[in-house]
Amino acid sequence: MLFNSLAFLLFFPIVCILYYAIPSAKVKGRNLLLLMASYYFYMNWEPVYAILLLTSTVVTYFAALGMGHFRNKRKKKLCLVSGLVLNLAILFLFKYYNFLASNIEDVLQTSGLGIYIPEFRMLLPVGISFYVFQALGYSIDVYRQEVKVEQDFLTYALFVSFFPQLVAGPIERSRNLLPQFRQRHRFNYDGVMAGIRLICWGYFLKLVLADRCGLYVDAVYDNIDIHNGGSYLLASFLFPFQIYGDFAGYSLIAIGVARVLGFRLMENFRRPYFACSIGEFWHRWHISLSTWFKDYVYIPMGGNRTGKASQYFNLMVTFMVSGIWHGANWTFLCWGSLHGLLLCTEKTLGIGKQDYPGRRKLCHWTVTFVLVCMSWILFRASSLHDAVTIVSGIFCKMGIPIITFAMFTELCLAVLALALLLIKELSEEFCWEWHIRESRYWLVRHLYIVGMITMILLFGVLGGDQFIYFQF
Amino acid sequence: MKKFIVSLVFVIAGLFAADRIGGVGMNWVYGHTNDVLSPKLRYLCHDIHEDVVLIGASRCHHHYLPSILSQTLGMSVYNAGIGGSNNIFSHYMVLCYILARYTPKIICLEVMPTDYCQQTDTYNALSFFAPLFGYNEAADSVYRLAGNYYQYHLSHLYRYNAKASSNLLGLVLNRQAGNDNGYIPLSKPNLFPKKLATEDMRNDIDSLKIRYIQRFAELCHDRQIKLVFTVSPKYTIVDSSHYNILKDIAQKNGILFLDYHSCGLYHNHAEYFKDSSHLWDEGARRFSKTFSNDLKEILRQDKLS
Repeated sequence: MLFNSLAFLLFFPIVCILYYAIPSAKVKGRNLLLLMASYYFYMNWEPVYAILLLTSTVVTYFAALGMGHFRNKRKKKLCLVSGLVLNLAILFLFKYYNFLASNIEDVLQTSGLGIYIPEFRMLLPVGISFYVFQALGYSIDVYRQEVKVEQDFLTYALFVSFFPQLVAGPIERSRNLLPQFRQRHRFNYDGVMAGIRLICWGYFLKLVLADRCGLYVDAVYDNIDIHNGGSYLLASFLFPFQIYGDFAGYSLIAIGVARVLGFRLMENFRRPYFACSIGEFWHRWHISLSTWFKDYVYIPMGGNRTGKASQYFNLMVTFMVSGIWHGANWTFLCWGSLHGLLLCTEKTLGIGKQDYPGRRKLCHWTVTFVLVCMSWILFRASSLHDAVTIVSGIFCKMGIPIITFAMFTELCLAVLALALLLIKELSEEFCWEWHIRESRYWLVRHLYIVGMITMILLFGVLGGDQFIYFQF
Repeated sequence: MKKFIVSLVFVIAGLFAADRIGGVGMNWVYGHTNDVLSPKLRYLCHDIHEDVVLIGASRCHHHYLPSILSQTLGMSVYNAGIGGSNNIFSHYMVLCYILARYTPKIICLEVMPTDYCQQTDTYNALSFFAPLFGYNEAADSVYRLAGNYYQYHLSHLYRYNAKASSNLLGLVLNRQAGNDNGYIPLSKPNLFPKKLATEDMRNDIDSLKIRYIQRFAELCHDRQIKLVFTVSPKYTIVDSSHYNILKDIAQKNGILFLDYHSCGLYHNHAEYFKDSSHLWDEGARRFSKTFSNDLKEILRQDKLS
């Protein structure tokens, strides 16, 4: 079920009413309701894939029980490894097998061996990378004894499948979310209203900003042969805002939905395009994933505690894994590697460690923004060949962007939405005192909701487009 | 909970007010904009009176010059083609709007494979007509197929969603330049299409669309309107049997079928085309002359018989 579908707009209020109809003291009853709602939510795409979700849950649940049960360190490790292997095997089979098989086939063919490797013919289950990573995070936390083993299967199953963040995050930590499923959640007026306002802003980012930008971005990236450098440049400038609106929009809706139900999910974006270095960008972009990689990949490899060379090696590996996490394509691997390289360069030059004054800050911000925009080309292009065509086109095939009048009108709206986003982010970044969404005036806060919904009704792309991160 | 209910009531009431006031505002914009679509929809519902009406999508909109047709046929002509309205459901709605006002003598329907084949975005173009929701019951019934009938009922603002930006820009930019009774010319392209590509038309037949084509024909028949199916030139190669299903419908209903798809006059002339599907102004002028002469001859023979 998509957040931007009519089905969800019916589903969510019904879940809320039923949820608050159960007395807050009956925590188990509420959790059972949420678990059923989460599975229903997930099964709306492809019911059979709920088996994968359940498998991942059962495997990590029993692996954690095993880790809690055994005192022997080797046995504990065996439990952890078996949980990790089984989960990663599911992820590999559905996400990476075909990519690897086709590449091996290509290599064999070029070396004269025409061997056919059978394809795995099943669609990629929605959100598999998100819930598998969340479950793996729990297993590792239990192994490290950072969280207690969750004995109650229902609570744990809800932790893995909690519908607001099930298919595109934020990837929650067990130490933050699991305890919340054991707490009583009384109806909290301020929390519910704050959640609704977050949901409205999230929808605005997705439906007005991201989907409007997406109309032009898709028109260019899906037909690169008929466009020129000007179109590539414009589309490559718009894509960063499309993906930000899309993903931050989703995260805000997820956080807002959870907040209405009384849960607090972690922040996933913190004005990423205000970053003055690539390192800072990764502290602001997809925070739940970047901290996951930091905690469970980078630091276990040695992190910053090793020598310079191995520190750079660790960084590169982490970013390459992060790239391939996004999708089985060379473009994602190169995108991750590029970010790794940029970060290593920054570390070598000592950039990003101090706060720069006025003009220098602007200079750093500009360079970072351009680099991030350029790297998104790799992310959005369907192949490395397309990415090279676009980058070379920007420099060698420059011209006035090819744009129809209809598309021009769509972009005018995108610019309007972008201006609103900019004002909001500037006010937050520089702590200006005009927060409309969280205004202290009751009327302003309520008019904000009315205004957002009105703008979405009039200017939103209401065709129920997929969220970009669903494919990961 | 009390506070929440007060908030909920306030938001719902505020939304209702914003929707109705916004709807009135956008209706004013719709009534005053100089965009391409809205003035045409206004004309279709309130002013249309021509003897001959051409219905279709962008290929109709940019291929038939009413001034040339009118000169040759000696009848008034209006081009009701709407860019992007790419299947029979939209054409059926246009017919309903026209018939609610008067009965033309001849209707020419520019047909395309999307009129009878399955598409992924079958109902997208119906939103173009949403500002006219409530004007004609038969046309509104098509929204039930698309599943947004009740949304349009509920929200006045949502009816203007599809063309909100172009309607607003149409207040400051006049896009009616070159308007010839509904026809808007396409400018000369920088690059003419280079390759005569083969058109892939292997999509399955959509039985619901076939039913609507039949219904379209019946409506015209009931009102004694002469219906003509036309296919204007395209810069593609197509299997000649492809239009058989339409030819069968035409034959059964006594409808004239004029196929210029692969007409030799245009097929070897990339210079008439803006892209593989559209003639630019010069090509459209030339085609309009051919088409109007053919139609005149057919009408003359009809009279004699």
